[in-house]
Amino acid sequence: MNTMEEKLWNYIDGTCSDEEKKAIDILIAQDEVYRRKYEELLALNREFSKMELDEPPMAFTYNVMEAIRAEHAQQPLKAGIDKRIIKGISGFFIVSILLLVIYVLSTTRVAPVNLSGHLPDSLKLPDIKNYLNKPVLEGFVFFDLVLGLFLFDAYLRKRGVSKQG
Amino acid sequence: MQSKLSDIELIEQTLAGNQAAYADLIKRHQRFVFTLALRFSKNREDAEEIAQDCFIKAYRSLSNFQRQSKFSTWLYSIVYTTAMTFLRKKRVDTDSIDDENTYIQLENSSSIHDVNSAENKSRSYYLNQAIAQLLPDDAAIITLFYMGEQSLEEIGNTLGIEPNTVKVKLFRARQRLKEKLERNLKHEVKELI
Repeated sequence: MNTMEEKLWNYIDGTCSDEEKKAIDILIAQDEVYRRKYEELLALNREFSKMELDEPPMAFTYNVMEAIRAEHAQQPLKAGIDKRIIKGISGFFIVSILLLVIYVLSTTRVAPVNLSGHLPDSLKLPDIKNYLNKPVLEGFVFFDLVLGLFLFDAYLRKRGVSKQG
Repeated sequence: MQSKLSDIELIEQTLAGNQAAYADLIKRHQRFVFTLALRFSKNREDAEEIAQDCFIKAYRSLSNFQRQSKFSTWLYSIVYTTAMTFLRKKRVDTDSIDDENTYIQLENSSSIHDVNSAENKSRSYYLNQAIAQLLPDDAAIITLFYMGEQSLEEIGNTLGIEPNTVKVKLFRARQRLKEKLERNLKHEVKELI
């Protein structure tokens, strides 16, 4: 059950219901004890509202900003590199390779195609059928599987790190 | 001179890379953050450390700030958690945070410290002295309610408790503050006689 003081604080704070407010209005008007207590708490509330904030040291903002700047400066180089620089470098190389390919294609003379269906006698292709036996194919599939699992693991780790960040 | 921009505008500018905007945000809130930190730590050096740590933490997670609540409410909740962590680290025995005896010592030392300045003691001096003698939680609730202009719901969000619990705690905190004030004033009157 609320005490008189608790009810009066709720009344002063404006956190009581309309019914409670009306009841307290009547009590303040009619009951001398209630009225005195109300005036005492109201004066106290006014005092509390006049409290002053403390001042931090003069260089407080400067110190915080310096700490933030220092933290930025300590970031690992990997995190500090601007992605635009990476994109610029890769763009330069892609354009260079494309220009090189275009230049090579434009300057290469294409020899007439042998349409007879027979390869020239001078050209000897290796007999790959000898190499494509069962153990080689199994080894190749196993290597692919290990590589696939390794890349999947790396992807999941990267995803986990970015979620934590 | 402080910026006329709103907190949200300053946050957007900060997120866009303008660090000066964050400096403005600090200037705007530093007095309250420092006062609140002081309510917990009861010591200016520790309060400065807590307040500084709080602004750095806020800067780091500024992009996570949901604009559903006021920036101040979000900031004060950082002050609360930072201060609690600081106090736990400082006092190995966590129970001593809630031990009123700790603050009785402070009460006695503060009265000895300021005996000679009786003429300069204003009403706000007595009020600040009484607040300094309260438990950190009580002092924080009083500060948030009267100086932070926070509603019961906002204080609840800051301290991680229900608004009704805030109401009860606020009532008790005001009662304790009133008792401390009365006791300090009696002590001063005796001293003057």
